[in-house]
Amino acid sequence: MTSTTSRAPQQAPARRRRPFNTRRAGAWALLVLAIAVSVLPFLWVLRTALSTNSALAANSASLLPADFTFGAFMRVFGLQSPADAIAEGGSGATIDFWLYLKNSIIFSSITTAGAVFFSAMAAYAFARLRWRGRNAVFSLFLGTMLVPPIFTALPNFLLIKNLDLLNTMLGMVLPYVFMTPFAIFFLRQFFLNMSREVEEAAMLDGAKHLRIFFQIVLPNAAAPIATLALLTFIGQWNEYFWPLLVGSQDDVRVLQVGLGVFKSQAPQGSPDWSGLMAATLVSALPVLILFAAFGKKIVNSIGFSGIK
Amino acid sequence: MKKSLGAVAVAAVMALSLSACGGGSSSSAESAKGEINYWLWDANQLPAYQQCADDFAKANPDISVKITQRGWDDYWSTLTNGFVGGTAPDVFTNHLGRYGELAENKQLLAIDDAVKKDNIDLTQYNEGLADLWVGQDGKRYGLPKDWDTIGLFYNEAMLASGGVTEEQMKNLTWNPQDGGTYEQVIAHLSVDKNGKRGDEAGFDKNNVAVYGLGLNGGGDSSGQTEWSYLTNTTGWSHTDKNPWGTHYNYDDPKFQESMDWFAGLVEKGYMPKLETTVGASMADTFAAGKSAINAHGSWMTGQYTGYQGIDVGIAPTPVGPEGKRASMFNGLADSIWAGTKKKDASIKWVEYLASADCQDVVASKAVVFPALKASSDKAAAAFAAKNVDVSAFTEHVKNKSTFLYPITDNTAKVKGIMEPAMDAVVSGKVPASSLTQANEQVNALFK
Repeated sequence: MTSTTSRAPQQAPARRRRPFNTRRAGAWALLVLAIAVSVLPFLWVLRTALSTNSALAANSASLLPADFTFGAFMRVFGLQSPADAIAEGGSGATIDFWLYLKNSIIFSSITTAGAVFFSAMAAYAFARLRWRGRNAVFSLFLGTMLVPPIFTALPNFLLIKNLDLLNTMLGMVLPYVFMTPFAIFFLRQFFLNMSREVEEAAMLDGAKHLRIFFQIVLPNAAAPIATLALLTFIGQWNEYFWPLLVGSQDDVRVLQVGLGVFKSQAPQGSPDWSGLMAATLVSALPVLILFAAFGKKIVNSIGFSGIK
Repeated sequence: MKKSLGAVAVAAVMALSLSACGGGSSSSAESAKGEINYWLWDANQLPAYQQCADDFAKANPDISVKITQRGWDDYWSTLTNGFVGGTAPDVFTNHLGRYGELAENKQLLAIDDAVKKDNIDLTQYNEGLADLWVGQDGKRYGLPKDWDTIGLFYNEAMLASGGVTEEQMKNLTWNPQDGGTYEQVIAHLSVDKNGKRGDEAGFDKNNVAVYGLGLNGGGDSSGQTEWSYLTNTTGWSHTDKNPWGTHYNYDDPKFQESMDWFAGLVEKGYMPKLETTVGASMADTFAAGKSAINAHGSWMTGQYTGYQGIDVGIAPTPVGPEGKRASMFNGLADSIWAGTKKKDASIKWVEYLASADCQDVVASKAVVFPALKASSDKAAAAFAAKNVDVSAFTEHVKNKSTFLYPITDNTAKVKGIMEPAMDAVVSGKVPASSLTQANEQVNALFK
């Protein structure tokens, strides 16, 4: 009845270690901690999304999905019948995922394209043209950044209603499509730093403002414009309140508003946690993809390179 | 003695057939067509009502019903928005806490003429439900669709390990002085981190692992699931009369004594602190094994019995000092928006929703209790088929131990005053005598 357990001797590392450096180790530890802090919530979201709702509460401490299922993702893509969803403890509400996704893309694209283009024009006027009252008007513009959006929601809503544009894509994009004060401010700062010489040379050659704007300023500002477009797009993608007010009908409902079906359905009820998490992951994907594609550009352009 | 099922069914069918062939004038016959929009909030009931809509469309080929489901959290804001923007649904599920103000703001269509014309028998609904929907102006703004009462959901395993029998749970008593056997059971089922029970010496009330009683919140003005099943056993009632009372009674010593007892549970460590309930779902907390008993509404039955790995029993609420149980009796109805362009079709749909044809479908899904007496029994049977005993909820109706949801003007303002006042009491910051002052503010609204 004797059993001996033989332990393998510890292998000495083959290559020579660098002498232990406390500061380096501290930096690494901080880095690992920072990564953990930012990634763990995502893992938790994923784990919850792959759980069955009715099993979540009893297994609130486990890092692994409770009663693993793809049901929540099926709910998101509308592949699960309400009866099955309710059986899983999920929300019996269904969302027309692809339609809402299409609406989200249209809404975000139109507002981004419009806002960036018109803001660039305005920024050009504020930065490169000299006209009476320019700075006063600009201050006024900046001042509007101080007004909380909730203040303008109701007047805007009534305006859109009186224009008979409720539940239309036009009504949804109108408040955003012409400009945002932030975009004007952001681009103006950049345009101010552009060199005068190129512009003056163009003027000597007989170019008018339109041509200068389109052929010199815009190409030179490609990086900040891309940054602004990306930031605007992400902001619009996550916009909730206005689309909820104006686009409550199915054919114009955007994804963020659609996610509301996973919230609490009945008074004092619980949200469909797994459905909500799955939907949140899926709806964040486009933004993550955009970041992956343009992330470098953002970083480079925000740290204004100083090359004039 | 109850009326036999058959008689009620016949009456319902009669009423239906009458409404089906009792066409109005030729002009209204023309408008009884097209697509009507119908809104509801509870996704769990969506399959049932979708089936009602399909059946209805079969019977009325000229009318189609488009159902939109909006979760409770967004429902009222989008609805109000729709009233303003002219995009509200033709027909929507209405709530007693809201309808007074909607009627006052002329957003609802009175349906008295249709009810009279189509001979809808209002006695076929559970007692009191139909009366709730008659406004202060004496006009009817909805036909009852379902009802709910309060019961005690309990964790069977915790009761077994605590040696509390089902029999004891069914015969709990309560009074505001020492809490009766209800408090004894709650204390016994509270367990601290070291495994000491709430009724043992050395119970650590600051480190509780399992609370005897779950807490949903302060309960604002109605205390629907929180405390009204206790306070109203003392002979106290929210208002001087119901519906359309004009005086609230939060200054009554009986009520304040009950609330002091309720807040005392938190102090003793038998109930979670109020601040821990914010943003949490009481039902989920129960499923996580953090509370042994939850007083909650019958509409939550599906959620409680659906949790995996937990056996749930349902007991009736305790018997109070006057020898009776008490439960708030809340009922929903379907109302028609005053701005509808399809009035006749909407009326047809509302009448169909309130008829046995639809309510039996709702009953068969075992989610809520339909308003029709006959359909209520069918719902109980459907729950039984799922091995859920709902007698704790139906008993209230059978024994007439219900009181109606308090319906008054200014409900939103009353709630706005009472919510912080109640929260302050339940969190132990102030004694319940402080409610006298809040009560003065509330009653000033009616002067």
